[in-house]
Amino acid sequence: MTAPAAETVAAPAHFAGARTSPHLLMPMTLLFVLLVIAVLRSPVLVTNSGLGSAVIVAAPLILATYALMATVVAGRGTVDLAIGPLISFINVTLIQLVAADVIGSPFVVFLYAVAVGMAYQLVMALIVIFVRVQPIIVSLSGFLALSGINLVILPRPGGVAPDWMASWGAGTSVFSPVMAILVLASLAWLLMTRTAFFTHLRLMGSDERAAYTSGIPITIVRIGAHLISGAFAGLSAICFTALIGSGDPGQGTTYTLLAVTALVLGGASLGGGRASLAGSLIGAVDLYLITYVLSTFSFGGIQSFVTDLCYGAILVASLLLTLTLPVIQRTIGNFSALLYFVVLAIVALGVILFSTYTGDVPSAAATGTAAGFLEIQALRGAAAESGRDSRLWAFVGVLLLTVPLIARTLIVGARRRGLGPIVYIVVTGLALLAVYLATHGYAGGVGHGSARP
Amino acid sequence: MTASLTTPPAGSLLSRVIGLLIAIALTAVSAGVGVYQSLPTQEVILYSIATFALSAWIWRFYVLQFSAGAAGEQGASELRRAWRRYRGLLLGFLALVGVFVALSLTIDGFFNVWTVISALILLLIIILTMSVGRFMAENRSAFIGLMVLAGLFSVGSMNIEGFASATNIKSMLLFASFLGLASIGQTLVALLGGLDLSIPYVIGAANVGLLYLISLGVPAWLAFCLILLAGGLIGVVNGVLSLRLQGQALIVTLGAGFVVSGATQIVTSIGSAYSGNVFGTVPDWLTNLSSMAGSTFGLPFPPVIAIWGLASLILVIGLRSTVYGRFLYALGVNRTSAERLFISERAYWISAFGLSGLFSAFTGCLLLGWSGGGFIGVGSQYLFMTLAAVVVGGTSLLGGTGGYGFTVIGVLVLQVLTSFLVGIGLKFEWQQFIFGLLILPMVALYARSPHIRTQI
Repeated sequence: MTAPAAETVAAPAHFAGARTSPHLLMPMTLLFVLLVIAVLRSPVLVTNSGLGSAVIVAAPLILATYALMATVVAGRGTVDLAIGPLISFINVTLIQLVAADVIGSPFVVFLYAVAVGMAYQLVMALIVIFVRVQPIIVSLSGFLALSGINLVILPRPGGVAPDWMASWGAGTSVFSPVMAILVLASLAWLLMTRTAFFTHLRLMGSDERAAYTSGIPITIVRIGAHLISGAFAGLSAICFTALIGSGDPGQGTTYTLLAVTALVLGGASLGGGRASLAGSLIGAVDLYLITYVLSTFSFGGIQSFVTDLCYGAILVASLLLTLTLPVIQRTIGNFSALLYFVVLAIVALGVILFSTYTGDVPSAAATGTAAGFLEIQALRGAAAESGRDSRLWAFVGVLLLTVPLIARTLIVGARRRGLGPIVYIVVTGLALLAVYLATHGYAGGVGHGSARP
Repeated sequence: MTASLTTPPAGSLLSRVIGLLIAIALTAVSAGVGVYQSLPTQEVILYSIATFALSAWIWRFYVLQFSAGAAGEQGASELRRAWRRYRGLLLGFLALVGVFVALSLTIDGFFNVWTVISALILLLIIILTMSVGRFMAENRSAFIGLMVLAGLFSVGSMNIEGFASATNIKSMLLFASFLGLASIGQTLVALLGGLDLSIPYVIGAANVGLLYLISLGVPAWLAFCLILLAGGLIGVVNGVLSLRLQGQALIVTLGAGFVVSGATQIVTSIGSAYSGNVFGTVPDWLTNLSSMAGSTFGLPFPPVIAIWGLASLILVIGLRSTVYGRFLYALGVNRTSAERLFISERAYWISAFGLSGLFSAFTGCLLLGWSGGGFIGVGSQYLFMTLAAVVVGGTSLLGGTGGYGFTVIGVLVLQVLTSFLVGIGLKFEWQQFIFGLLILPMVALYARSPHIRTQI
């Protein structure tokens, strides 16, 4: 923390790269707060099947946010309002083509979805480039046209997804095909950020004139951004089809609004030039968790209204909290978002282990969703009681190991700014541990609890 | 091209030699004629030099300039040059004719005298907008909008029974009034470079809230005023929240919209057996205000049309000639220079959103009078329709250019188009599809931004 505060303030955040981006601060805080609440309210979330179904539900939104991100980075305010209807369009045409037996095999279906998404986005890119109308108007036009044609193709929700896709939506395990799509798509984006193309893209998004004068082929870069967006839209449509197992022409508006919200929540600038994979991912997961947490509370007849209310309020509040970022920057100086993530992850992991793996509590907490926050006290008591539980000791051991490690990285990070590798290792270790415990620990915990009386 | 006006073009060697030869030939002819007429030798020499100089200058200045216009096309034929210049127009014309022929071949009874006339009118509009619209730098969007409006209306009245009847015009104006009043806020906010997505939710909340208040026993006029006040307050809150988050105004207003709509439904469904549905009687004056059967001081049209007309008049004149209006434009064009003039960004941003909330609530109340029952989703179609009206009218979403007059034209175009599409028997989804396809070319006629190479 020796870096002078003035330097951090003087250099705009996007120069510092994603590693020290303060824009991730708010979504990350929200993520862990929501995660902790979600786990306390309903520990089923961190079981294998709970995480599996979470991935299934969140995947279309995450991929839609990626799709949006690719064009938003390109600048000119390219917020693709048509992303939701496009996903719907691929979904309904896919369902109809499968029903007509035109396509069927997984390869062809993937090819079709991605090709349609890319073809649509190519047309949009050509219009934006050569007709030179504001992109948001182009996307508005696409939104209306696609929403209309979706209803023509499939007037009401229905149809059946291909046979091989039927089991995808079950969400019984984390390691589902949808998860594979998600991971591969994320990796593809990360690889893409290492290329010169992405640098060009970001430069064009921040300042198109500067990009043009420095000889970047902006036409090709813009077309590329749209093509990437289209490919993600196609993958999102496949995950969406797997999720609902049928066709639904009416989800367009919902997905558009959700994806734009997730993107903005994740710290992307709608003006262009700044967006990160981590931000979009966290933003989308935040939105999923908001819905999840709200669904654990029971409000009877007014459930959906309360959901709307809280959803909007959290949205506005988290955006307003981003206004405090400059203040945080000034006081903390060289702030590392990744370190913050690690600290929060450890706290959250502690809470997860604390509430999930202490004797007979999981079954009670899993069923008792209506008991409210008072239950946390009960959890604490139970935890103290079963303190001899070996898993708790294991957790304490992990904590004892990681705390010095983080302290060390803190010290190193204060002197040298590149603390990336160490933190990556810690995060990976923690993630592996969490997955291991989630897949094996919960079942063991239940068994232990039932054996105990 | 512009450079060649100031400095004479050089031209190629061949063209210069040709020019020299022509000049020499002309000089020789004039000298021969002078000698033949037995003029004095001095005069013959003088005239010869003058002829030579003049013809050489003419050749150099005019003839070469024309050929320089098609630089590098010395070898290209006349036909080829004409093709290059009118390529776009010709291809567009051929495409239109192709579409027409295809439609006539596929749809039975499509080919009759009225559709031919309609197609000719459409062509006329396109040619007029391409030729005359070119000279209108300021109000091209309004001109094109009016042309499209006139064309749509004439085509509609020729092809659809009862399209130009008083009843249909009245109903078109009625729906246009709702959309127009809802678009007021969007226009003002767009002039500042923002977007307000809370409009549909405020409309829905006002719609349900008003009926709820009336069913509680609050006097209808008081309830009406309260709802308007609440709408204005919501708008102000929107403005305050998004003032420092202008890039994200889209999301802030959307979130606020969710809150408003959720809160309204919670309030109205507490102690009610029918969650989300409110029942009550709408007062007669409100029904009269916005139903088809309403009358304004005895005249047979609903007062909401008059209200919209009045509001449009006030806004158009107000934006043009009041300090508030001018400052709004100043802020939209350039924040920094507006700040130098001591224009408070905060006051104008918040007041624009406040007005937006107010008019959204007003539209919601009027829609209650039209439908007679409260429904939270009544405004959902206005989410993107207000945006479309603003955009089609020609107000830039980046702020600073446009105005409410443009939005009025946009609203009317959208409404007449809807009516036309309904009239030819299209279902909702097809209407929306065609809407989407038509917005783009309409906007492309006037809102093309210059190429990046001209912005450096």
